[in-house]
Amino acid sequence: MSQFFMSILIIVFGGFLSLILARQFKLMKMVAVFSLSAGCFWGLFDAVTKLMQSGSDAASFKYLNVFSLAFQIDGLSAFFLVVIFAVCLVAVIYSFHYMDHSGEAVRTAVHYFFFSILIASMALVVTAANMITFMLSWEIMSLSSFFLVIYNYESSENRKAGYLYFVFSHVGAMFIFAAFGIVYGYTGSFGFGAMDSIPETAKIVVFIFSFIGFGSKAGVFPFHVWLPHAHPAAPSHISAVMSGVMIKIGIYGIVKMYTLLNFHTPLFGNIVLVAGVVSGILGVVYALGQHDLKRLLAYHSVENIGIILIGLGIGMIGVSSGNPLMAVLGFSGGFLHVLNHSIFKSVLFMGAGMVLHKTGTRTIDALGGLLKKMKITGATFIIGSLAICGLPPFNGFVSEFFIYIGGFKGIGLENSAFVMSIFAIISLAVIGGLALACFTKVVGVVFQGEPRTKAAVNVDEKGSTMLASMLILAGACIFIGIFPGAFIQMSIKAVSALGLGYGHVPLEPFGQMTANITFAAMVFLVSLLVVIAIRWFYYRGKTITKSGTWGCGFTQPTAKMQYTGSSYAASILEFFSPAAPLDEDHPKIKGRFPEKTYYKSHVNDIAELNMKGVIVNPVLFIFDKLRWIQHGDIHLYIGYILLAIVLLLFFI
Amino acid sequence: MIESIILWLLAILLAPFFSAIMFKVKAFFGGRKGSPLLINYYTLIKLFKKGSVYSTSTTAVFKLGPIISFASAITVLMFLPIAGHNPIFSFNGDVIFILYLMGLGRFFTIAAAMDTASPFEGMGAAREAYFPIICEAAMFMILIFFYRLTGHLQLSAYFTGDNTIALWNLGGAPLLFIVISFFIILLTENSRVPVDDPATHLELTMIHEVMVLDHSGPDLGLIELGSFCKLFFYSTIVSRLILPFDFKISAMGYFVFVLGLIIVYVAIGVTESVIARYRMDKVPQFVLTSFALAFFATIITLEFI
Repeated sequence: MSQFFMSILIIVFGGFLSLILARQFKLMKMVAVFSLSAGCFWGLFDAVTKLMQSGSDAASFKYLNVFSLAFQIDGLSAFFLVVIFAVCLVAVIYSFHYMDHSGEAVRTAVHYFFFSILIASMALVVTAANMITFMLSWEIMSLSSFFLVIYNYESSENRKAGYLYFVFSHVGAMFIFAAFGIVYGYTGSFGFGAMDSIPETAKIVVFIFSFIGFGSKAGVFPFHVWLPHAHPAAPSHISAVMSGVMIKIGIYGIVKMYTLLNFHTPLFGNIVLVAGVVSGILGVVYALGQHDLKRLLAYHSVENIGIILIGLGIGMIGVSSGNPLMAVLGFSGGFLHVLNHSIFKSVLFMGAGMVLHKTGTRTIDALGGLLKKMKITGATFIIGSLAICGLPPFNGFVSEFFIYIGGFKGIGLENSAFVMSIFAIISLAVIGGLALACFTKVVGVVFQGEPRTKAAVNVDEKGSTMLASMLILAGACIFIGIFPGAFIQMSIKAVSALGLGYGHVPLEPFGQMTANITFAAMVFLVSLLVVIAIRWFYYRGKTITKSGTWGCGFTQPTAKMQYTGSSYAASILEFFSPAAPLDEDHPKIKGRFPEKTYYKSHVNDIAELNMKGVIVNPVLFIFDKLRWIQHGDIHLYIGYILLAIVLLLFFI
Repeated sequence: MIESIILWLLAILLAPFFSAIMFKVKAFFGGRKGSPLLINYYTLIKLFKKGSVYSTSTTAVFKLGPIISFASAITVLMFLPIAGHNPIFSFNGDVIFILYLMGLGRFFTIAAAMDTASPFEGMGAAREAYFPIICEAAMFMILIFFYRLTGHLQLSAYFTGDNTIALWNLGGAPLLFIVISFFIILLTENSRVPVDDPATHLELTMIHEVMVLDHSGPDLGLIELGSFCKLFFYSTIVSRLILPFDFKISAMGYFVFVLGLIIVYVAIGVTESVIARYRMDKVPQFVLTSFALAFFATIITLEFI
């Protein structure tokens, strides 16, 4: 445990140092990046060793003589620690060249301070071993990330995003408090251990409350409304950390509650799976309709959380129907997808960050042809896109493969488990196809073709730490895709820690599956090399000429005539229009010499659309009626406090 | 193993020949004599002899497109049981790998089309991204059906030896639905009428053909050969499903298999001759039919088997 606390200490210390050194921009950045990455590296090393030894480690302290702060690292926490430290390490390195406004030295220092607090608090959440510790770290995590979201607080849009995030994370925390409160009411202790002794009906309520609470952090539909606003607002490496890691802490919460409640009803699996399917499909449909590159990626986080939940749901259904193989496949696939998504989503956000940094715009339809000038960014972005579409031989395929196989195990079952498995498999297939459509759109419109506006014309890519981070992560996507053995072992170690009553999960059958994936990837790579050789053979000594694109007879093509992202996605969006209503605005063209016209489209998120009418307005109405309580007289306020204390003394 | 490798090579080499049968049938319906049966070989030889013209808008992705789509097509054939023989490679879950590998090929075909900055190719790319989504759902529905019957998740468990006969004995009538459903997927994935018309005179109305407008020379040759292989893959499966017989004499087995293939290619040719291409917004409904058929087949097996 001391290794873990040392790494946390280094990280937080680095954050404080950056505040002290705020005046020296260069030095501050170097110190902050160095100590944060050193701490992350140490923590990563420690977590991997712990995970491989599959031991568990605990420590506790007294706080204010009343509460005890308890920490414990088991397989599950160690797995999430690996994800947290690995992605934060790369994100910190990336930030060195990304944060290059020396005029905003103090703001950058404050950003490093909150960044270090965010990393530390995420690590503390997944190691917390009682309710007090958990909620304390959870709140620190929510608040520090709130300050990172409003980094560019001058823009009113970002302030609004920050506000939305603040409200959502606290309403979510309220649900978690409620869940913990119910447990405390039954057990009278803040410890996690006694949770499985509460009655079964209470367990169901506790699970649903905590699913809403943790789901709102994870971005599960319909509690995801804050996510596409908040993630794009933050600096790109913070978006990568929030999207890649922080929302996974919500997943950790759901799994942790499932483990602690130790109640294997099919209901939990069905809830999680249905939530996963809805988030998965709607997430990618909304992503397809976005015009803002970072917002599009944020919606893909909703989609991938959906895939993870489908995996977990299959796992839970496997447990409740007594099918250990299905359970382990579902859970390990879900966990591996947590790791995989954190990697490829970080590559994509970092690539988007580079594009934003160099072109100054996030609008997809304003870009084009970036691949010619930004070779490394483009190549790593394409690798990330292939991985997020779940295509072989990249890492996304491995986790989806495990979830698929788990789902197919459920086809052999009866009744609801069978129906749910069909539901899971078909929606995974649809999500895969839609993700492919969405990322061919992004790659095609942003990186290929010709520049659509001036912003995309004179670009370059500079910043060695930014390029290095993207290369490392893209390399990881390929490596895990071809050699998934060790990573599946890691996620199975995490499954062993769930206490499903299977004891030690044997590795052999899964080792065979990963060997098959490696083998198949190799077969493909060999045939790829053969085809490249054939192509080279037929192009020897041939004349290669360059010319314009064939315009189908039209001789004066311009860059404006290219297919835009909006038109690319239009027909698919029309198919999903009941769930994604489209607002269009363009004036009718009149006369022989029409005036300059425009076209605007916006895909509405039905959760966001209905939130105002269903939740916000009724709440405002009630609060408006209660306004008389708050009349500004200080004496009466003191009276309220007295009254509250007296009432509490009498009744508790 | 050696037999499987020879069959695999033969499949790649003979795939262009079978496609020519389709053209002959169309010519017959059109009252023409039609091009010779070896036409596709002449075209391929011509293409491989030529050099290439590349658009100034394109990048390396444009050259990767044909390579990856062809490599994925021939890799997929390695996992396909041809004429009831064992495939070269096979493992539990290889079907999922194959389907996603075809997805990889599609990603790069689309990316290569978007690389040219041509509005026509972008339009084709958007359609190529759209229709296969429904196809993929239908494919997985068919897989669920097969898994329910056999408990396996690999092509060799469905299409080698007497496994296909066993499938018919188990599945019976619902398997007819699967055959039709699979035929619809074949038409969609291989851009045939009524989903796509490769022979139309207007680039605006094409899907696959417009996406490869800017490819030339050996690159185009690889794309053409790759699409022949892809059509061969789907036809082999349909052929095996409609003539599932397993003979002890191997010559007989090959004969029946080739007969099945010819039936499938003739059927595609007849479909192309008697049906017009659907309006683009009607296509999804047509493709959804295949999903519905596979879904009903699965529900029927759930109740009665």
